[in-house]
Amino acid sequence: MAKMTLEQLRELRDSKKMEMTQRDGEEKAARIVIGMGTCGIAAGAKEAFDAFLDELNSHAVKDTRITQTGCMGLCFSEPTVEVIVPGMPRVIYGNVDGKVARRIVREHIIEKSLVSDHIFDKPAADIIK
Amino acid sequence: MHASLCDLITDLVQNSFEADATEITLNIEETEKNLNVIIADNGKGMSAETLEKAKDPFYSDGLKHQHRKVGLGLPFLFQTAETTGGTARIESEENVGTTISLNLDPSNVDLPMFGNFATAAVTLMTYGFNGNLAIKHSVNGKSYEVSKNELAEALGDLNDLESLTLLKQFIASQEEELGTL
Ligand SMILES: Nc1ncnc2c1ncn2[C@@H]1O[C@H](COP(=O)(O)OP(=O)(O)OP(=O)(O)O)[C@@H](O)[C@H]1O
Ligand SMILES: [Mg+2]
Repeated sequence: MAKMTLEQLRELRDSKKMEMTQRDGEEKAARIVIGMGTCGIAAGAKEAFDAFLDELNSHAVKDTRITQTGCMGLCFSEPTVEVIVPGMPRVIYGNVDGKVARRIVREHIIEKSLVSDHIFDKPAADIIK
Repeated sequence: MHASLCDLITDLVQNSFEADATEITLNIEETEKNLNVIIADNGKGMSAETLEKAKDPFYSDGLKHQHRKVGLGLPFLFQTAETTGGTARIESEENVGTTISLNLDPSNVDLPMFGNFATAAVTLMTYGFNGNLAIKHSVNGKSYEVSKNELAEALGDLNDLESLTLLKQFIASQEEELGTL
Protein backbone atom coordinates (compact mmCIF):
# COMPACT_ATOMS: atom_id res chain seq x y z
CA MET A 1 0.00 0.00 0.00
CA ALA A 2 1.42 3.38 -0.97
CA LYS A 3 1.35 6.18 1.55
CA MET A 4 -2.07 7.78 1.35
CA THR A 5 -2.55 11.56 1.34
CA LEU A 6 -5.40 13.45 3.00
CA GLU A 7 -6.54 14.42 -0.49
CA GLN A 8 -6.83 10.75 -1.49
CA LEU A 9 -8.63 10.03 1.75
CA ARG A 10 -11.17 12.74 0.96
CA GLU A 11 -11.70 11.40 -2.57
CA LEU A 12 -12.21 7.86 -1.34
CA ARG A 13 -14.70 9.10 1.18
CA ASP A 14 -16.60 11.10 -1.43
CA SER A 15 -16.86 8.14 -3.79
CA LYS A 16 -18.20 5.99 -0.93
CA LYS A 17 -20.70 8.70 -0.05
CA MET A 18 -22.17 8.59 -3.55
CA GLU A 19 -22.89 4.87 -3.15
CA MET A 20 -24.52 5.63 0.16
CA THR A 21 -26.93 8.39 -0.82
CA GLN A 22 -29.78 6.15 -1.93
CA ARG A 23 -29.91 4.72 1.57
CA ASP A 24 -30.23 8.14 3.17
CA GLY A 25 -33.03 8.46 5.66
CA GLU A 26 -32.93 4.79 6.51
CA GLU A 27 -32.04 3.91 10.05
CA LYS A 28 -28.54 2.68 10.82
CA ALA A 29 -28.29 -1.09 10.91
CA ALA A 30 -26.48 -1.02 14.20
CA ARG A 31 -24.68 1.01 16.80
CA ILE A 32 -21.81 -0.57 18.68
CA VAL A 33 -20.31 1.01 21.79
CA ILE A 34 -17.03 -0.47 22.97
CA GLY A 35 -15.77 0.05 26.52
CA MET A 36 -12.23 1.37 25.99
CA GLY A 37 -11.28 2.20 29.55
CA THR A 38 -8.09 0.92 31.13
CA CYS A 39 -9.70 -2.37 32.10
CA GLY A 40 -11.31 -2.86 28.71
CA ILE A 41 -8.05 -2.21 26.89
CA ALA A 42 -6.07 -4.49 29.17
CA ALA A 43 -8.66 -7.19 28.53
CA GLY A 44 -8.42 -6.89 24.75
CA ALA A 45 -10.95 -4.25 23.68
CA LYS A 46 -8.70 -3.22 20.78
CA GLU A 47 -8.75 -6.76 19.39
CA ALA A 48 -12.54 -6.65 19.62
CA PHE A 49 -12.53 -3.28 17.82
CA ASP A 50 -10.41 -4.68 14.97
CA ALA A 51 -12.57 -7.80 14.74
CA PHE A 52 -15.78 -5.73 14.52
CA LEU A 53 -14.32 -3.61 11.71
CA ASP A 54 -13.13 -6.64 9.82
CA GLU A 55 -16.29 -8.74 10.20
CA LEU A 56 -18.66 -5.85 9.39
CA ASN A 57 -16.68 -5.12 6.25
CA SER A 58 -16.48 -8.71 5.14
CA HIS A 59 -20.28 -8.99 5.36
CA ALA A 60 -20.72 -5.54 3.84
CA VAL A 61 -22.84 -4.34 6.78
CA LYS A 62 -22.14 -0.75 5.90
CA ASP A 63 -24.47 1.48 7.86
CA THR A 64 -23.03 0.91 11.29
CA ARG A 65 -21.50 3.29 13.82
CA ILE A 66 -18.84 2.23 16.27
CA THR A 67 -18.20 4.52 19.21
CA GLN A 68 -16.21 4.13 22.38
CA THR A 69 -16.77 4.86 25.97
CA GLY A 70 -14.55 4.77 29.03
CA CYS A 71 -14.94 2.35 31.87
CA MET A 72 -18.48 0.91 31.98
CA GLY A 73 -17.94 -0.10 35.58
CA LEU A 74 -18.02 -3.78 34.69
CA CYS A 75 -14.28 -4.38 34.85
CA PHE A 76 -14.64 -8.02 35.77
CA SER A 77 -16.30 -8.86 32.46
CA GLU A 78 -14.32 -6.59 30.15
CA PRO A 79 -14.20 -6.09 27.27
CA THR A 80 -17.82 -4.98 27.37
CA VAL A 81 -19.74 -3.91 24.30
CA GLU A 82 -23.21 -2.41 23.94
CA VAL A 83 -25.10 -3.28 20.78
CA ILE A 84 -28.11 -1.30 19.60
CA VAL A 85 -30.04 -2.63 16.60
CA PRO A 86 -33.37 -0.99 15.71
CA GLY A 87 -36.25 -3.23 16.67
CA MET A 88 -34.15 -5.30 19.07
CA PRO A 89 -33.47 -4.93 22.78
CA ARG A 90 -30.32 -3.00 23.71
CA VAL A 91 -27.83 -5.49 24.95
CA ILE A 92 -24.54 -5.27 26.83
CA TYR A 93 -22.23 -8.14 26.09
CA GLY A 94 -19.35 -9.11 28.37
CA ASN A 95 -15.99 -10.80 27.74
CA VAL A 96 -16.06 -9.81 24.09
CA ASP A 97 -12.87 -11.05 22.48
CA GLY A 98 -12.30 -11.09 18.72
CA LYS A 99 -14.26 -14.30 18.27
CA VAL A 100 -17.28 -13.07 20.20
CA ALA A 101 -17.15 -9.77 18.29
CA ARG A 102 -17.43 -11.70 15.04
CA ARG A 103 -20.35 -13.72 16.42
CA ILE A 104 -22.13 -10.52 17.45
CA VAL A 105 -21.88 -9.24 13.88
CA ARG A 106 -23.12 -12.48 12.33
CA GLU A 107 -25.76 -13.51 14.88
CA HIS A 108 -27.00 -10.28 16.46
CA ILE A 109 -26.57 -7.70 13.71
CA ILE A 110 -27.13 -9.83 10.62
CA GLU A 111 -29.37 -12.69 11.79
CA LYS A 112 -31.05 -10.61 14.52
CA SER A 113 -30.68 -13.21 17.23
CA LEU A 114 -28.95 -12.53 20.54
CA VAL A 115 -25.61 -14.09 21.45
CA SER A 116 -27.16 -15.39 24.67
CA ASP A 117 -24.09 -16.89 26.29
CA HIS A 118 -22.35 -13.50 26.40
CA ILE A 119 -25.20 -11.22 27.42
CA PHE A 120 -24.19 -9.21 30.41
CA ASP A 121 -27.28 -7.11 30.72
CA LYS A 122 -30.56 -6.59 28.95
CA PRO A 123 -32.73 -3.75 30.26
CA ALA A 124 -36.42 -4.37 30.88
CA ALA A 125 -38.57 -3.92 27.79
CA ASP A 126 -40.32 -0.80 29.10
CA ILE A 127 -37.12 1.26 29.22
CA ILE A 128 -36.20 0.41 25.65
CA LYS A 129 -37.10 3.25 23.37
CA MET B 1 -1.76 -5.05 33.46
CA HIS B 2 -1.02 -3.54 30.07
CA ALA B 3 0.57 -5.85 27.60
CA SER B 4 1.98 -3.20 25.32
CA LEU B 5 3.39 0.32 25.22
CA CYS B 6 0.57 1.29 22.85
CA ASP B 7 -1.94 0.40 25.55
CA LEU B 8 -0.06 2.58 28.02
CA ILE B 9 0.02 5.44 25.53
CA THR B 10 -3.73 5.04 24.92
CA ASP B 11 -4.34 5.23 28.63
CA LEU B 12 -2.29 8.40 29.03
CA VAL B 13 -4.01 10.15 26.11
CA GLN B 14 -7.36 9.15 27.59
CA ASN B 15 -6.30 10.90 30.81
CA SER B 16 -5.95 14.04 28.69
CA PHE B 17 -9.47 13.51 27.26
CA GLU B 18 -10.77 13.11 30.79
CA ALA B 19 -8.99 16.32 31.85
CA ASP B 20 -11.16 18.18 29.28
CA ALA B 21 -8.21 19.11 27.10
CA THR B 22 -9.05 20.74 23.77
CA GLU B 23 -5.56 20.39 22.27
CA ILE B 24 -3.53 17.24 22.74
CA THR B 25 -0.31 16.29 21.03
CA LEU B 26 1.16 12.82 21.01
CA ASN B 27 4.70 12.61 19.78
CA ILE B 28 6.50 9.29 19.44
CA GLU B 29 10.09 9.28 18.34
CA GLU B 30 11.92 6.04 17.86
CA THR B 31 15.55 5.52 17.05
CA GLU B 32 17.77 2.51 17.61
CA LYS B 33 18.95 3.96 20.92
CA ASN B 34 15.89 5.76 22.15
CA LEU B 35 12.15 5.51 22.42
CA ASN B 36 10.70 8.85 23.33
CA VAL B 37 7.01 9.52 23.99
CA ILE B 38 5.66 12.97 24.79
CA ILE B 39 2.00 13.65 25.49
CA ALA B 40 1.04 17.28 26.07
CA ASP B 41 -2.42 18.62 26.81
CA ASN B 42 -4.07 21.89 27.76
CA GLY B 43 -6.51 20.25 30.15
CA LYS B 44 -7.30 21.00 33.75
CA GLY B 45 -3.87 20.00 35.01
CA MET B 46 -2.97 18.87 38.49
CA SER B 47 -1.88 20.65 41.63
CA ALA B 48 1.45 19.54 43.10
CA GLU B 49 -0.48 17.68 45.74
CA THR B 50 -2.72 15.81 43.26
CA LEU B 51 0.28 14.98 41.13
CA GLU B 52 2.06 13.44 44.10
CA LYS B 53 -1.02 11.36 44.87
CA ALA B 54 -1.55 10.39 41.25
CA LYS B 55 1.80 8.61 41.19
CA ASP B 56 0.45 6.27 43.82
CA PRO B 57 -1.26 3.19 42.38
CA PHE B 58 -3.84 3.45 45.12
CA TYR B 59 -5.07 6.80 43.92
CA SER B 60 -7.72 7.66 41.37
CA ASP B 61 -9.76 10.83 41.69
CA GLY B 62 -12.67 8.76 42.96
CA LEU B 63 -15.05 10.09 40.31
CA LYS B 64 -14.46 7.54 37.61
CA HIS B 65 -14.46 4.17 39.23
CA GLN B 66 -16.95 3.91 42.01
CA HIS B 67 -16.02 0.31 42.46
CA ARG B 68 -12.29 0.91 42.40
CA LYS B 69 -10.26 3.71 43.87
CA VAL B 70 -7.17 2.63 42.02
CA GLY B 71 -5.80 4.37 38.97
CA LEU B 72 -3.59 2.38 36.68
CA GLY B 73 -2.39 4.80 34.05
CA LEU B 74 0.29 6.82 35.84
CA PRO B 75 1.56 4.02 38.10
CA PHE B 76 2.12 1.83 35.05
CA LEU B 77 3.97 4.69 33.39
CA PHE B 78 6.42 4.93 36.29
CA GLN B 79 6.65 1.19 36.69
CA THR B 80 7.57 0.76 33.04
CA ALA B 81 10.30 3.38 33.32
CA GLU B 82 11.66 2.00 36.58
CA THR B 83 11.83 -1.64 35.60
CA THR B 84 13.57 -0.89 32.30
CA GLY B 85 16.04 1.79 33.35
CA GLY B 86 14.16 4.54 31.55
CA THR B 87 12.75 7.82 32.78
CA ALA B 88 9.23 9.17 33.11
CA ARG B 89 8.40 12.78 33.90
CA ILE B 90 5.19 14.65 34.49
CA GLU B 91 4.93 18.40 34.43
CA SER B 92 1.56 19.79 35.27
CA GLU B 93 0.03 23.09 36.18
CA GLU B 94 -3.53 23.57 37.30
CA ASN B 95 -5.77 25.08 34.60
CA VAL B 96 -2.86 25.15 32.17
CA GLY B 97 -2.17 21.56 31.23
CA THR B 98 0.00 18.53 31.60
CA THR B 99 3.02 17.21 29.76
CA ILE B 100 4.17 13.65 30.18
CA SER B 101 7.47 12.44 28.80
CA LEU B 102 8.69 8.91 28.71
CA ASN B 103 12.17 7.96 27.65
CA LEU B 104 12.98 4.31 27.19
CA ASP B 105 15.79 2.10 25.99
CA PRO B 106 14.33 0.07 23.10
CA SER B 107 16.89 -2.68 23.58
CA ASN B 108 15.99 -3.36 27.22
CA VAL B 109 14.77 -6.95 27.53
CA ASP B 110 12.14 -6.06 30.12
CA LEU B 111 10.43 -3.56 27.86
CA PRO B 112 6.83 -4.51 27.02
CA MET B 113 6.27 -5.00 23.31
CA PHE B 114 5.33 -1.89 21.38
CA GLY B 115 1.99 -3.19 20.10
CA ASN B 116 -0.16 -2.18 17.17
CA PHE B 117 0.00 1.58 16.84
CA ALA B 118 -2.39 1.77 13.88
CA THR B 119 -5.28 0.41 15.95
CA ALA B 120 -4.30 2.55 18.93
CA ALA B 121 -4.27 5.67 16.74
CA VAL B 122 -7.65 4.86 15.16
CA THR B 123 -9.30 4.28 18.52
CA LEU B 124 -7.82 7.50 19.94
CA MET B 125 -8.88 9.56 16.92
CA THR B 126 -12.43 8.22 17.15
CA TYR B 127 -12.81 8.19 20.92
CA GLY B 128 -15.42 10.91 20.69
CA PHE B 129 -13.94 13.80 22.62
CA ASN B 130 -14.48 17.35 21.47
CA GLY B 131 -10.95 18.66 21.11
CA ASN B 132 -8.16 18.11 18.65
CA LEU B 133 -5.51 15.40 18.82
CA ALA B 134 -2.35 15.71 16.75
CA ILE B 135 -0.16 12.65 16.38
CA LYS B 136 3.42 12.60 15.17
CA HIS B 137 5.26 9.32 14.81
CA SER B 138 8.82 9.12 13.68
CA VAL B 139 11.07 6.12 13.28
CA ASN B 140 14.75 6.56 12.50
CA GLY B 141 14.22 9.97 10.94
CA LYS B 142 11.17 9.11 8.82
CA SER B 143 7.92 10.54 10.11
CA TYR B 144 4.30 11.43 9.55
CA GLU B 145 1.89 13.79 11.27
CA VAL B 146 -1.88 13.66 11.36
CA SER B 147 -4.52 15.51 13.34
CA LYS B 148 -8.08 14.69 14.25
CA ASN B 149 -9.30 18.01 12.84
CA GLU B 150 -7.91 17.32 9.38
CA LEU B 151 -9.23 13.75 9.42
CA ALA B 152 -12.71 14.97 10.37
CA GLU B 153 -12.48 17.54 7.61
CA ALA B 154 -11.69 14.81 5.06
CA LEU B 155 -14.00 12.09 6.36
CA GLY B 156 -16.93 13.80 8.09
CA ASP B 157 -18.40 11.58 10.79
CA LEU B 158 -15.36 9.64 12.00
CA ASN B 159 -17.38 6.92 13.71
CA ASP B 160 -19.27 5.36 10.86
CA LEU B 161 -17.93 2.15 9.44
CA GLU B 162 -16.72 3.65 6.14
CA SER B 163 -14.76 6.37 7.93
CA LEU B 164 -13.28 3.96 10.44
CA THR B 165 -12.23 1.63 7.68
CA LEU B 166 -10.66 4.37 5.57
CA LEU B 167 -9.01 5.90 8.61
CA LYS B 168 -7.44 2.59 9.51
CA GLN B 169 -6.15 2.17 5.95
CA PHE B 170 -4.81 5.71 6.06
CA ILE B 171 -2.90 5.24 9.31
CA ALA B 172 -1.71 1.79 8.27
CA SER B 173 -0.29 3.25 5.05
CA GLN B 174 1.63 5.86 7.06
CA GLU B 175 2.92 3.23 9.47
CA GLU B 176 3.92 1.00 6.59
CA GLU B 177 6.01 3.83 5.22
CA LEU B 178 7.81 3.99 8.57
CA GLY B 179 8.45 0.26 8.35
CA THR B 180 6.55 -0.61 11.53
CA LEU B 181 3.97 -2.90 9.90
N1 LIG C 1 -3.37 14.62 31.79
C1 LIG C 1 -3.93 14.79 33.01
N2 LIG C 1 -4.50 15.98 33.35
C2 LIG C 1 -5.07 16.14 34.59
N3 LIG C 1 -5.14 15.19 35.53
C3 LIG C 1 -4.59 13.98 35.26
C4 LIG C 1 -3.96 13.71 33.99
N4 LIG C 1 -3.48 12.44 34.01
C5 LIG C 1 -3.83 11.94 35.22
N5 LIG C 1 -4.48 12.85 35.98
C6 LIG C 1 -4.98 12.65 37.37
O1 LIG C 1 -4.31 11.55 37.93
C7 LIG C 1 -5.24 10.55 38.38
C8 LIG C 1 -4.64 9.18 38.15
O2 LIG C 1 -4.56 8.87 36.76
P1 LIG C 1 -4.51 7.35 36.31
O3 LIG C 1 -4.52 7.26 34.82
O4 LIG C 1 -3.38 6.70 37.01
O5 LIG C 1 -5.86 6.75 36.90
P2 LIG C 1 -7.37 7.07 36.43
O6 LIG C 1 -7.37 7.78 35.10
O7 LIG C 1 -8.07 7.75 37.55
O8 LIG C 1 -7.96 5.61 36.28
P3 LIG C 1 -7.65 4.55 35.08
O9 LIG C 1 -6.65 5.16 34.14
O10 LIG C 1 -7.10 3.35 35.76
O11 LIG C 1 -8.95 4.29 34.44
C9 LIG C 1 -6.51 10.83 37.58
O12 LIG C 1 -7.65 10.38 38.27
C10 LIG C 1 -6.48 12.34 37.42
O13 LIG C 1 -7.00 12.98 38.58
MG1 LIG D 1 -6.22 7.01 33.44
